[in-house]
Amino acid sequence: MRKAIVIILAILFMIPVFWTVSSSLKSMNEIYRYPPTIFPQEISLEGYKNVINESQFPRYVANTLFVAIVSTVITVFISVSLGYGLAKGTFKYKNFFREIVTITLFITAQVIMVPLFVVIQQLGLIDSLWGLIIPAVFTPTASFTAYQYMRDLPNEFLESAQVDGANEWQIFFKIVLPMSRPLMAAISIFSFTWRWNDFVLPLIVINSGDKFTVQLALSALQGQYGIPWNEILAFSVLAIIPTLIIFLLFQNLFMKGLSAGGLKY
Amino acid sequence: MKKIDIVKNRFVFIIPSFVFHFLFYLLPIILMIILAFFSWDLLNSPSFVGLENFKDLMEDKWFWNSIVVTLKYTFFTLPIVFITSLILGLLLQEENSFSKIMRVFFYWPYMIPMVAGGTMWKWLLSKDFGLVNHILKQLGFNPINWLDNPTLALFSVVIVQTWVLSGFMMMLYIVGLQALPEEFYEAASIDGASNFQKFWFITMPLLRNTHISVITLTIANCFRNFTIVYIMTTGGPGYATTVAPLYIYQKAFTDFRIGYASAGSIVILLISLVIAYVVRKVQERDLEGGKI
Repeated sequence: MRKAIVIILAILFMIPVFWTVSSSLKSMNEIYRYPPTIFPQEISLEGYKNVINESQFPRYVANTLFVAIVSTVITVFISVSLGYGLAKGTFKYKNFFREIVTITLFITAQVIMVPLFVVIQQLGLIDSLWGLIIPAVFTPTASFTAYQYMRDLPNEFLESAQVDGANEWQIFFKIVLPMSRPLMAAISIFSFTWRWNDFVLPLIVINSGDKFTVQLALSALQGQYGIPWNEILAFSVLAIIPTLIIFLLFQNLFMKGLSAGGLKY
Repeated sequence: MKKIDIVKNRFVFIIPSFVFHFLFYLLPIILMIILAFFSWDLLNSPSFVGLENFKDLMEDKWFWNSIVVTLKYTFFTLPIVFITSLILGLLLQEENSFSKIMRVFFYWPYMIPMVAGGTMWKWLLSKDFGLVNHILKQLGFNPINWLDNPTLALFSVVIVQTWVLSGFMMMLYIVGLQALPEEFYEAASIDGASNFQKFWFITMPLLRNTHISVITLTIANCFRNFTIVYIMTTGGPGYATTVAPLYIYQKAFTDFRIGYASAGSIVILLISLVIAYVVRKVQERDLEGGKI
């Protein structure tokens, strides 16, 4: 009984995805046929072919991958470094800096969208992929998670390294980083999906079509006259594939990240 | 000598992060407050206008409309997400392979890019070709123009927001439910409590902290929703679904009224702070009430 309810609800939740995938595999004629067919009568890859050949799709993918990978690498490094400094440091005003990170967790990006644009503009990063990377590398969630992780890192390892004469940099690179592998993995996966899925920052920063990200291109396709639904649907399916792969591969990490307070920034 | 000190007390490790924090969080907030007193179109140099932006905001009925739309949107979304995620949490709290597999189907919408998710729903709700209207017709109803009718458009966006958030909130409930102490239930069973009584008098009150997290996070998500609305309705029909962030976006990047949009952002920030404060007060009052 309980299982039946769960399965019915799960089907309801997956209908939009099913309907999109199914429709994306129909020919243009079949998409506009009435009554609609639930499954494609004959599989047509027309929509997918159009997206991949006619548009600059490979370019959008390359742009998005570049942004997601580069910003993720920087995010991982600065977050781990921040977490270590805050958790194991002894400098003045440490609590003040920690509070700033916590408070930033509650600032919603949309509220500062306008002045953020001005800062990006003044830095000369408008209409540049770096304008999507640099402003996004500090994420409150990653910083907070890193801080929590570093607090639990046993002090003995750091102290024994100090006794052995290691300097701070050696301690950080040879002890702290290797011990932070699970943390770095978690931040990488979350950060990659945030950047892959991001829409608001690209929308305000990017103007030229050749610098579009996947999400931006998908959105732009809908503004066209005479909406090409088969292409839009194929594009939507392609846009969720990386998320799906990462999610399925790292499911446990996502679920654990939730219980550890890993919230969307 | 100084340099070595910085390394020794490990201050140096927080510098890279705080450079980015300063540039892209602190500076924009300061800038937002300053810009609110200026008139600026991004091209000509800004001119000081004092409180004029705020005065204009007070008289701008579409700005207040966008606040009302955001509040309505939150007001409708909150109970639906709350109930859906609680039910899902209760159904899937056990750690077995069935639950683990099924959780994926509910959590995954949260992982999908919202541009793609919004597009999927737009197709599902499409007047002539959508599955929803097809089913309605099969059942003998007239097709409904989901996204062109002001009331229904808001309702449609609420449903999509629920679809996105429920699985995420479900996870919070699962974590909360798994942490509940067994003893209470054993004692209640001895006293002959029914399942519903156990749920209502033990589970619900014990989940208080989870409820508060779910409510706070749902409100926060509703307040910053931009993408779903932008993709599905672009704020229309008319201003029926123009939520506050979308209105600010239009003022800044369509009308190029940067100062005006900054003033609007400040008002929105203040409103969300008030709501955050109220939620926290309710939380504290419950604590004083001694409900465990």
